[in-house]
Amino acid sequence: MGVSMSKTGSGSEHVDDLVAKTADALEDGKYPLSITHDEAIYQAERERIFSNMWCFVGHVSEFEEPGDYARRYIGEDPFIIVRDERGELHAFLDLCLHRGAQFCTAESGNTSHFRCPYHGWTYKNDGTLQGAPHMREAYCDLDTDDVTLEEATLESYQGLLFARMAEEGPSLEEYLGEFTWYLDVLFGLTEGGMTVVGEPHRWESDHDWKTSSESFAGDSYHVLTTHQAGLETSLGKGPWSRIEDFPDASYLACTDKHSGGYYLLDDAETFMGYPEAVTENLDPDLSEAQRDLAGRSVFHVGTVFPNMSYIHGIQSAGWGGPWLGIRVWQPRGPGKVEVINWWLVPEELADDEEFKHESHRGWESLSPGGAFEADDLVVWNGITDSCKSTMIDRRETLGNMQLGLDGMSEGVETVDDPVHGPAEVTTKGLYFDERHSRVWYGAWQSAMEEYRGDPR
Amino acid sequence: MNHLVTAESAVEPTRHHEIEQFLYHEAALLDDFEMEAWLELVSEDVELKVPIRRDRGPGSDASPFSDETYYLRNDYDMLRERVDKLSKEYAWSENPRSRIRHHIGNVRVTEPTEDEYEVRNNQLVYRSQGDTADHKLLSAERKSSLEAVDGTYRITDRTVYLDHSILSTKNVTLPLL
Repeated sequence: MGVSMSKTGSGSEHVDDLVAKTADALEDGKYPLSITHDEAIYQAERERIFSNMWCFVGHVSEFEEPGDYARRYIGEDPFIIVRDERGELHAFLDLCLHRGAQFCTAESGNTSHFRCPYHGWTYKNDGTLQGAPHMREAYCDLDTDDVTLEEATLESYQGLLFARMAEEGPSLEEYLGEFTWYLDVLFGLTEGGMTVVGEPHRWESDHDWKTSSESFAGDSYHVLTTHQAGLETSLGKGPWSRIEDFPDASYLACTDKHSGGYYLLDDAETFMGYPEAVTENLDPDLSEAQRDLAGRSVFHVGTVFPNMSYIHGIQSAGWGGPWLGIRVWQPRGPGKVEVINWWLVPEELADDEEFKHESHRGWESLSPGGAFEADDLVVWNGITDSCKSTMIDRRETLGNMQLGLDGMSEGVETVDDPVHGPAEVTTKGLYFDERHSRVWYGAWQSAMEEYRGDPR
Repeated sequence: MNHLVTAESAVEPTRHHEIEQFLYHEAALLDDFEMEAWLELVSEDVELKVPIRRDRGPGSDASPFSDETYYLRNDYDMLRERVDKLSKEYAWSENPRSRIRHHIGNVRVTEPTEDEYEVRNNQLVYRSQGDTADHKLLSAERKSSLEAVDGTYRITDRTVYLDHSILSTKNVTLPLL
């Protein structure tokens, strides 16, 4: 192997070689473990994946008033998400067009203008240049129409804000495809929709963004081992206690890129343990099948490719009520991630302090302070550390995601029932079908191949 | 927040010394993972909170700490369960156990009502885990309410105000607080 093929190589040849090997390995339900932690792969992901995919940047309820802004990232590019004075939402690159300086010094706030701290160029919150110090004498011949902040395309679906850096590409709805059916159930459950409460958890972890994004796409199999301590102490309260057999109650739904799994009961009035404020205000736009899925639901977990995941359901660790958490696995360099974890409740319950007290307990359990996630992070950090290995590059060591392949796992079968929506859904899927991993790495491989010629 | 301890609200030196010793004793229990013994220092109506530190824009008059969202907001029953969980083999968050060291200082004690003490302290908590030279530091101000009972103290309320808007530790376990 030449230098460009090595782990420490930075050439696109090395990347393209690994991407091609991923395509081959996927045919057997495997993937090169080497892609997990690799400098060149990481840089290529920024250029090929994060520059082209729709990436989650926040929720509309965070930006209710004109001037409300937050700093969010697409890949490692810093963006300001802001509602302008006319009510339009934007995603501006946090970069002054004079000399590239940065405006944002905080995570969030409210402002009518962005003033550059370097030479004072000042922009309105719609991205147009308002002026600069001594404007009339200093800039006699500046075409100010040309000076508009770099902007990513911003679209929303069920209150979820996604931005795309590439100027061309599919619309958000096309990108989400059939997965919108499930997002309707999870984020458009009630007429009022979901609303963010308070500030998100934020923490850094030494693991690769791919590992957690793919795990959240539908891996309950790890719960048996990683979370055994949590299971021994606390599982089995509320609707969870009515599940007789966890694998039997679990399903996995995958589209071309996005996956989610869920636990269902037969009782169509389960509604993840939500009180009447939800069941009496269901969004009339939901179809009968979507209503049935919501009604039978105990718990949902999933990932919108590339790096947004969610959990929606009754608390799994025994404490607390139903909750919805959205999280982003924000890449922060090879083998490093910042996690942002939002808590949302149905608008109808936004002022119900008793409900929120219980719901917070659920949300908190999947956080760095929580009984469950604290254990995941240790495991993921270990994966990232070991996958730095040069030996796995040399030996082309493959990871295994063969659960649920033909003849591999008992009881994993495609189910055909309107309640499961348009995606391909398997029984026992959340436990014994790693199709979510195959779909996830399939989407990764396709994007890495499709955008390989992407100009820097 | 007014941190000034005035002559009227400060406690007697003996009391102050006693409460400092209590904090050191508690810290040693946490450092040594003596979680059952630690739990005995905690009142059954306790609430332990770690609020999220916000990072709002300049000029914002909002409190730097969220009053709605917390990394951890536990009552006694939840603490009981957490302590149980930490003793399990599969509690990977603390298996292997972290090497933890509390450094406690700037202890300020007031007595707003008789036999109830409001205690603030600064703390730097060192944590290193696994076979590595790496370590993390958690810096915080801690506010505790203590009640004097049976010649010792019980923690009736506790808030840990972290100096981190983005946590640098991968998880937050009880002995780190």
